[in-house]
Amino acid sequence: MTGMPDPGIDEVGARAAAIVANVETVISGKREAVVAALTVLLAEGHLLIEDVPGVGKTMLARSLARSVDLTVSRIQFTPDLLPSDVTGVSVFDQSTRSFTFKPGPVFANLVIGDEINRASPKTQSALLECMEERQVTADGVTHRLGRPFVVVATQNPVEMEGTYPLPEAQRDRFMARISMGYPAQADELAMLSTRETASPIDLVDPVVALDELQAMIRTVSRVFASAPVKEYAVELARATRDDRQLRLGASPRATLQLVRAAKAHAAMHGRDFVLPDDIDALAVPVLAHRLVPTSRALGSHDHDSGPLIDTIVRRIVTDTPVPIGSARRD
Amino acid sequence: MRRDRAPLSRLQALALSGATFLLLVIAVMALGPLLAGSGWWWLCTAVAAAVLFGGAGLRAIRLPASLVPLGELLILLATLTLFFGGSSSLLLLVPTADTFGVFGELLGGAQRTIQQQSVPAVVVPSLAFGLALGTGLLAVLADLLVLTFRLPALAAAPALVPILVPGFLIEDGAEVGTLVLTAAAFLLLLRVDVRVRRRAALAHHDDEVLITAPRRTPVASSVLPTIGLAAAGLVAASLLTASTPSVSTSLLLGSGGQGALFARGVSPFLDLGRDLRRPDAVPAFSYVARDGDRPYFRLLTIDRFDGEVWAPSDRRIDGDNAVDEFPTPTGLGDAVARTQHPIDITVQQLRTTWLPLPYPVSSVEGLDGSWFWDRGPLTVRSADSDTSGQQYRATMLEIDPTAEQLRAAGSRIPESIQEFTELPEETPAPIAELAAELGASADTAYDRAVAIQEYLRGPDFRYSVEAPVEESYDGGGLDVVAEFLKQREGYCVQFASTMAVLARELGIPSRISVGYTAGTPTTTRVENVAVVQVDSQDLHAWPELYFQGVGWVPFEPTPGRGTVPDYSRPGASETAPVPERAPGTPPPTPGARPDLDPERQLASGGSAGATSDPVVWPLVTLGLVVVLLLPAGVRSWVRRVRFRRVRRDDRGADAAWREAMGTASDLGSAAGTAALTPREAADVLLDELGGLDDAGRRALYALRDAVERARYGPPGTEAPVSEAALVELVTALRRRATPVTRVRARLLPVSLLDTARAGRRSAARA
Repeated sequence: MTGMPDPGIDEVGARAAAIVANVETVISGKREAVVAALTVLLAEGHLLIEDVPGVGKTMLARSLARSVDLTVSRIQFTPDLLPSDVTGVSVFDQSTRSFTFKPGPVFANLVIGDEINRASPKTQSALLECMEERQVTADGVTHRLGRPFVVVATQNPVEMEGTYPLPEAQRDRFMARISMGYPAQADELAMLSTRETASPIDLVDPVVALDELQAMIRTVSRVFASAPVKEYAVELARATRDDRQLRLGASPRATLQLVRAAKAHAAMHGRDFVLPDDIDALAVPVLAHRLVPTSRALGSHDHDSGPLIDTIVRRIVTDTPVPIGSARRD
Repeated sequence: MRRDRAPLSRLQALALSGATFLLLVIAVMALGPLLAGSGWWWLCTAVAAAVLFGGAGLRAIRLPASLVPLGELLILLATLTLFFGGSSSLLLLVPTADTFGVFGELLGGAQRTIQQQSVPAVVVPSLAFGLALGTGLLAVLADLLVLTFRLPALAAAPALVPILVPGFLIEDGAEVGTLVLTAAAFLLLLRVDVRVRRRAALAHHDDEVLITAPRRTPVASSVLPTIGLAAAGLVAASLLTASTPSVSTSLLLGSGGQGALFARGVSPFLDLGRDLRRPDAVPAFSYVARDGDRPYFRLLTIDRFDGEVWAPSDRRIDGDNAVDEFPTPTGLGDAVARTQHPIDITVQQLRTTWLPLPYPVSSVEGLDGSWFWDRGPLTVRSADSDTSGQQYRATMLEIDPTAEQLRAAGSRIPESIQEFTELPEETPAPIAELAAELGASADTAYDRAVAIQEYLRGPDFRYSVEAPVEESYDGGGLDVVAEFLKQREGYCVQFASTMAVLARELGIPSRISVGYTAGTPTTTRVENVAVVQVDSQDLHAWPELYFQGVGWVPFEPTPGRGTVPDYSRPGASETAPVPERAPGTPPPTPGARPDLDPERQLASGGSAGATSDPVVWPLVTLGLVVVLLLPAGVRSWVRRVRFRRVRRDDRGADAAWREAMGTASDLGSAAGTAALTPREAADVLLDELGGLDDAGRRALYALRDAVERARYGPPGTEAPVSEAALVELVTALRRRATPVTRVRARLLPVSLLDTARAGRRSAARA
C-alpha cells in the first residue's frame, strides 16, 4: 500500500510500547488487557472482551483505535438488529436508476460490537462471516473490508436473559478473549478526577499512523517460529483435546492463532523469534474461550481459584513439557 | 514467590513427616536379619516418631526452619535420656553430665558389641543405644532433606544406610521383601511430595495475573528420576550383597577385636600354640578358691571337626541365656555327686570375649557388660565387652563321678550328642589301626578312653611346642594326627586332638576345650587363702569325652601338663601329681612361626566366618570415600566439558546456560529445574537472589538471550557467548551462597539429576 520500508523488530517494539503508553493515559491499571488487545491487533485477529458493564471495555477499544489512527465504528447489538444493519444495504438510486451499496458500520478498521450476545443469531453470524472472510458480499458484489480489520466484541456475562450466547463455533473465530476486571482502588479514584470535566478519549492523539501500523503487522508476520515452539503449541492444543475435564478441546484454528498471537507478542518485546514463554503468556487468553468443560468438572470446581477454564488451561501449560532446544540441537 | 519453597500447611508438613517416618522405620527393618528379637525395632520406631513428629510439631508452631533440626536433636537427646539415662537424668528427660557419661559408655559398648557379636546379634542395652542414636540421627537428616530442603528424592540416602548394612555383613544382604517395602515407602514419600507441590501450585494461582505465564512446577517429571534413584539404591544394595561374601560375618567377629585372644574364634589352636611359644609369661588372671579347688579354666570349646580343622559350633548368642543362672550340664545324671564352690576371679592381661570359667558352673556374678552362656558347651561369651579388668565370682559345680558310674554309661549316646562322634569317611590308616588296637584292649567306652589317655601319656610321647612347627604338622587335622602318631612329639593341641579323634573313631563323643590349666599358687593370701596366678604359659587344650549319665568329662592326655583327673586313673588311689609347668622353651625365630595355611582358612570360612583381613576396613573406607566423592567428580567433569564447549562455541550458548543453571541448582535454587524455560529460570533466579549485582545480572541476561536465540531463534543468527559472562554469573551465584551451601553444592550436586532428566526429554522429542 505504501512505499515505506517495513520497520525493524526493535522499532516495532518501541512503537508498541508507545501505543500501550498512550492507551494507558485513558485506561490506567489495565496493562495486561491493553497489551492483549494490541497483540490481537498486530496479529490481525479479533478480540472478545467479556466482563460486567462499565469497566471500560468500549473505552479500551476506542482509545486503541484513536492511538493508531484507525477508522472506528461501533455497533450496539440489540435483538432487532438486522444483518444489513451490520454489513450495509443496497439502495435504489433514483438518479442513476441502479442499486448502489451503502456500506454498513463493518467497513472500518476497528469495529466495536457492543453486547454482541444481544443480537439474534442471524445478525451475529453475518458479523462473524465478515470477520472470517474479511469481505462483504451484497447482491453478488464482493466488497473487501479495510486492512487491518479488527472486531472487538464485548459480552456481558451477567445479564444473560434474552440473549443469544455465542455458540462454540463462533467463539472460535475470536483470536483471544480477555476480561477487564475492576480497577484497583487508586485507579478508580484517579479516574474520578480525570473524567470530571471531559472524556479523556478526546485527549488521545494518534501515536502511530495507519500505514505505519500496517508495516508493523507485516513485520510481525515475519517473526520466526522455530519447530520446537510450533510443536509446543500443537502439544498444548492436543493436551486440551485429551483432557479429562474438557468436553471440547482447541481446534486447529486455535493452534494457528496461538502461534500468530505469539509472534505479535514476541515482536512487541522486540524479539524476532517466538519463545515458548510467548506461547505460555497467551495460552489462557487465546485458548480458554474455545474450551468447554465437562459438567462434572464444573460441578466440582472451587470458584475461589478463578474461572474453571483458566485453571484448566494453566494446569495443562504447567504439565506440558517445554521443548528444551531447537531441532538443530541433536 | 518460589512455589517449591512455599510454606507448607501444617497438614502438608505432617503428611511429609509421616511418609518420611514410614520410609525410615521400614528401612530400619532391613537390619532384621542382623539382630535378634524385635524389641529394637519398636525402640527405633519410637525414636524416629519422636524426632519426626516432634519436628512436625516444631514446624507447626512456626519455628524458623533453620532451628528445626536443632530442636529435633534436642528431642532426640531427651528421648535417649528417657530410654537410657536412667537415674542420671533430671525428670527422666533432662540429661546431666552423668547422663553423657552413661551415653559415652553405652557408645563404647555398642562399638565393642558390633565387633564381637556374630549375626544375629543380641540387642544388649549398648547396641540398643547405638541403634536408637543412629535412627534418631538418620531421622534428623531425612527430615532436613525432605522438609527443610524439600529434596525428598535425597531421602533415599538415609534410608539406604540401614539397607546397605546387611549387605556388608551377611551373605544374603537385606531381605528382598524389606527392599521392596522400602522402595514402596520411598515412592509413597515422593507421591506425597508431588501432591503437596501440586496443591501448593494450585493454591498460588490466584496470586498471578491472568496473562502472565504460570511458572512450572516439575510435577510429573520428578517422579521418574527418583524412581531411577530408588532403583539404583536397590541395585547397589543387591550388588553389595552379592559381592561381599568374603567380608561376611567376619566384620562382626573379626578384626575389630584384634589383639584379643581367640577373637577370631576360628583356629584357636594357632593362637594357643603361639602364646605357648612366647618366651615371657603374661599374667592372664588370678583366682581365689576358698575350698582349695584347682580347676581348669575353659575359654571356649571346639567341637566341630571336618578332618582339617577343629572349630567351635557356629552358635549365636541367645539373649535369654544370662549368666546369673546356668542350666544343668548336658547329660549329668542325679546319681553323680556334685558340690558347689565359689571361686573369685580377677582378670589381668587376658583380653578376649570368652570368659575363663571352670566347667561346669552354676552361676557367675559381678560381670560388667552383657555375658551369655552358649546353649551347647555352656561357654560364656560377651556381646558387648571383654574380659579385661573383670572381677567376678563363679560358683563352680564340682562333679565327682566314680569310675563305676563312667563305666556304667555304656555306649548308649543320645541323638543330640551323636554329632560329636562324626569323623570324615576316610581316616588315615595309622589312626584307624591304633584305634582298633586300643579298642580291643578294653570293653567299655570308659576303659577305652582311659586306654587312649594312658597310651598318649606313655613313655613314647614327648612334649614339645616346637616340634610340630618345625616339622610342619601343627594343628589338629587328621593328617596332623597321623603325622603326630609317627613323630610322637607335640604339645597339648596334638595330644588333645589325637585323643578326641581316637575317641570318635571308637564311637565316644568328644570335643576339645581350650583354656588354662590351674595355674601356680602365689604367696599372696586373701582371707588366708592363697591367690593362684594363671599366665599365658598355662594355656592349654584338653579333650572332653561324653558319658551318658555323667556328661562331658575332661581327660588329660598331654604328658607333663595339668592334672590327670582321678576318675581317669582306675585303681589309682594315690594323690594327683602336682601341676607341672611346661618346660621352658627358647623363643621361636620369626620364620618358624606357624604359617596360616590359606587352604585351611578357606575350609574354615563356612563354619565360623572367615578371618578378616585388616586391609578390609581401609578398603571399605576408601570405597565409601570414593562413592561419596563420585557425584562431585562427575559434576566437575560435566563442568569442564561445558566450559570447553563454550570456548569452542560448540553449541556454546546451550552449554553455558546449562552450566549456569546447574550451578544454581547445586546451590539450592529452583531455577535449575529443567522444566523451566530460560526466561522463567532467569526470573526465578533474580527473584531468589534479589541482590545479584549488576555485573551478574548483565551476565545472566546475556546468557539467557543467547540460549533463547540458540534454541528458538532463526537459524544462523546464534551469537557466541563469552566465557567471561559465564564465569561472572557462576562466581556471582557462588558468592551469594553460604559456605555450607557451597560445600553441599560441591559434594551433592543435585544438578546431575536435572541433566539426566533434560537429556532424556530432548531425546524423547527428537
